Amino acid sequence: MASGYGWVQSAAIRAGDYVFVSAVVAVDPDTGERLNGTLTSEAHRAFRNLQLVLEAAGSSLGRLVQVHAMIYDRIEYDALNRVYRQYVPEGPPARTVWSVRIIDAFKLQLDAVALA
Amino acid sequence: MASREVIVPKNDKLNVSRNFNLPHSPGIRAGDFIFLSGMLSTDPATGERSPGTMAHETRQTLANMRHLLESAGSSLERVVKINILIYDMLEFDNMNRVYREFFPKDPPARTTCGVQLSAGMKIEIECIALAGQEI
Repeated sequence: MASGYGWVQSAAIRAGDYVFVSAVVAVDPDTGERLNGTLTSEAHRAFRNLQLVLEAAGSSLGRLVQVHAMIYDRIEYDALNRVYRQYVPEGPPARTVWSVRIIDAFKLQLDAVALA
Repeated sequence: MASREVIVPKNDKLNVSRNFNLPHSPGIRAGDFIFLSGMLSTDPATGERSPGTMAHETRQTLANMRHLLESAGSSLERVVKINILIYDMLEFDNMNRVYREFFPKDPPARTTCGVQLSAGMKIEIECIALAGQEI
């Protein structure tokens, strides 16, 4: 997803036992179009994109180790959790939620480390 | 293939994600490393949040972090990276004063940011540590 847009990061780097994933946002994985929406819609899209990146690297959502879930406002914490638990139902990864400003008016961004 | 295992504190009261029904684990051991979720100041006797001064919250959070790491066979001495989130960078020195008590020698790599935190808490801390020798 990162290639072709002049971005200065790789989508992910595999190093030893781990896959380090660049922050994932709600973009269309085929066209790269931004899919700005509600926190809920962006979270679904971002998790599916994260899944695509992980699977391309031979990993999966089930092998996530640590996630930094960045949201634009703390008030959306519960909205985030509602979507979040659907994607990591069993033995979820370690996580910290950061309330920050995100590029391109996205409401959510997922930064992750997984086992390869 | 490196193994993945959920880490929980021996003291159930400090299993915040379970007690508050949150979709994360206290920590994950993955290969040679342990990754902990962000921790807030929690009273180990009651499991309730323990808000207070920056000094108090820093001390309580790091004490709970030590307990969690030791529950998993690791320790504060084996922490390699810490991320600290505080509600106001004005409190940086107040945080540091307590912080150095817990890491008197060869402290881990660290990043500190001023952010918006939940429930009026002043500090949240997460870390990556080497897993213990016996694991």
